[in-house]
Amino acid sequence: MKPIRIAIQNKGRLKEESVEFLKSFGLKILNSDRGLIGKCEGQNVEILYVRHGDIPVYVQSGAADFGIVGANVLNERKFYVKKNKSLGFGKCKLVIAVPKNSGIKTISDLEGERIATSYPNSLKRFLKENEINASIIEVRGSVEISPLLGLSDAICDITQTGETLKENGLKKIIDIFESEACLIQNGFSDKEFLN
Amino acid sequence: MNAKKISPIILKGTRDFLPSEVIQRKKIMDIIQKMFEKFGYVPVETPILCPAETILGKYGEEGEKLTYNFKDAGGRGIALPYDLTVPFARYFAANYNNLEVPFKRYQIQRVWRAEKPQKGRLREFYQCDIDIIGSKSLICEAEIAKIIVSTLLELGIDDFKIKINSRRLINAILKSFGIPDSKVTPMIRIIDKKDKIGEEQMVQELSNIGVENGLEVLSRLKPMNSNKETMDKLRDSDVSELETFMRYASDLGVDDKWIQFDPMMARGLDYYTGVIYEVVSENSSLGAICAGGRYDDLCSMFCDQNFSGVGVAFGFERIMMLLKERMLVVENKSCSNVLVTVFDESALKKSLSAYNSLVEAGINSEIYLGLDKLNKQFKYADKKKIPFVVIQGPEEILAKTVTVKRMDTGKQKTIPDSQLVEYIKGYYEAN
Repeated sequence: MKPIRIAIQNKGRLKEESVEFLKSFGLKILNSDRGLIGKCEGQNVEILYVRHGDIPVYVQSGAADFGIVGANVLNERKFYVKKNKSLGFGKCKLVIAVPKNSGIKTISDLEGERIATSYPNSLKRFLKENEINASIIEVRGSVEISPLLGLSDAICDITQTGETLKENGLKKIIDIFESEACLIQNGFSDKEFLN
Repeated sequence: MNAKKISPIILKGTRDFLPSEVIQRKKIMDIIQKMFEKFGYVPVETPILCPAETILGKYGEEGEKLTYNFKDAGGRGIALPYDLTVPFARYFAANYNNLEVPFKRYQIQRVWRAEKPQKGRLREFYQCDIDIIGSKSLICEAEIAKIIVSTLLELGIDDFKIKINSRRLINAILKSFGIPDSKVTPMIRIIDKKDKIGEEQMVQELSNIGVENGLEVLSRLKPMNSNKETMDKLRDSDVSELETFMRYASDLGVDDKWIQFDPMMARGLDYYTGVIYEVVSENSSLGAICAGGRYDDLCSMFCDQNFSGVGVAFGFERIMMLLKERMLVVENKSCSNVLVTVFDESALKKSLSAYNSLVEAGINSEIYLGLDKLNKQFKYADKKKIPFVVIQGPEEILAKTVTVKRMDTGKQKTIPDSQLVEYIKGYYEAN
């Protein structure tokens, strides 16, 4: 029989807790050296370690039966996956932050400003809903330093504790949405998760 | 010069379009055209001036009256297309040796009808047609239903019903009531008027043409509450054509909720022989916004071979009216997103360079033609509803910056001039 495949983060903030979550179902994940596919002792289950943003792609295509992924990823792009349930860990927020001494204090101050983000779609939706016209500057990473470099006036990024923001002289002004890890499943699959 | 001026009038039922309107219409036409192309249809064009015999005698009495036809200077009978189906059937008959059969074409062209001009009815208007010629497969019918659903949803119209029926089925039902062949076409024309004249008058008109059991026939044809019930009611007659069509459509992802099987829907045109469609928007009184069907014998009027065809016409003018009523199209007086202003002669070089970088980046832009005061340039942008204005005065030039003003809010933002393109691109409405 084909194994049940579960895609989780290969590295990053959700990885450890995803593994713990799977262990709570009695899975004994065998460490493989190069770690792309982990077998499980005594069970026909395989763990796929993939890039966070790719998890829904694997699940959508049926290459994985299930995936554990942050809601922020699902919010950013449309995937044909079913959300099975929220898992209560990996909590974080998508926020808009500005330099500490910035004149931007409220949503409406963002009008006409440059906002750097790796979440352009989520940000666009938020701005549209609030009828704010601003320029979205899309960057892949290190979003926090863009105001310092004169690339943007504000940023829109994921934060957990707010430490990184602080380190870069930024303060949060708006929460866009709260995210946590979710269990997702292929849209056409009705397989049962581990029991 | 004292010559008498010619009055700049146009003919009743025709229109001049201002840029704002053409921009809107082209946007909608583009959506429709892209959808046709998505499903594998290719474009063709046919002449406007046609030999009268190409057009006449295909549409029934009513259509015949509404067809423009006249003699040209050489005494030849000329007609203007009444729809795009007949010209296309002629086109196919003339060219099928050079075409891949089955042939799927789309055609977006004007047609002419000598109607009394009124809301939603002009004498000159656009139709957007798709047809498939050379296949009898009911996949064609199902695909056309799919395209209707996809296109209307894409346009933002979501209160429509595709009324479907089959000419074959109507014919069979009429036959079962003992109606002779010669009365079928006149009867269909009467049934087709059902929304205009009501049952009583229909029975009267049927009786006028010698059909005395009109009431019974009509009650047999009356649709039930659901497609399935209607289908079941008519099961004594052969409903397999419609059933297969609906099954294919469903497998193509067409939800049953969009389709309404209406055995009384007849489509007045003479040339239909199989499945017919008529699409209405339920919350509108505009009448059919799309219509079409299967025609088995139209091509054989123009050539010895027999090719079955099926297609649908999107009534572009009515769709536009619907979209306007529902504010689903925005008014744009220009295609430009940015007006680059010119501060003075010495700043012109910078302005031209900014203009160049914007258009090179694919941002629709224009530069102000002249050296007027900035205020006048802003007014120009305002009038043309151009959302962004770019300003580079002496201060900006010195600081290597550029100021971008949003015309709707008046808010200005000064940024490094090297960021201009990225800044404008970052706005969701600028793309």
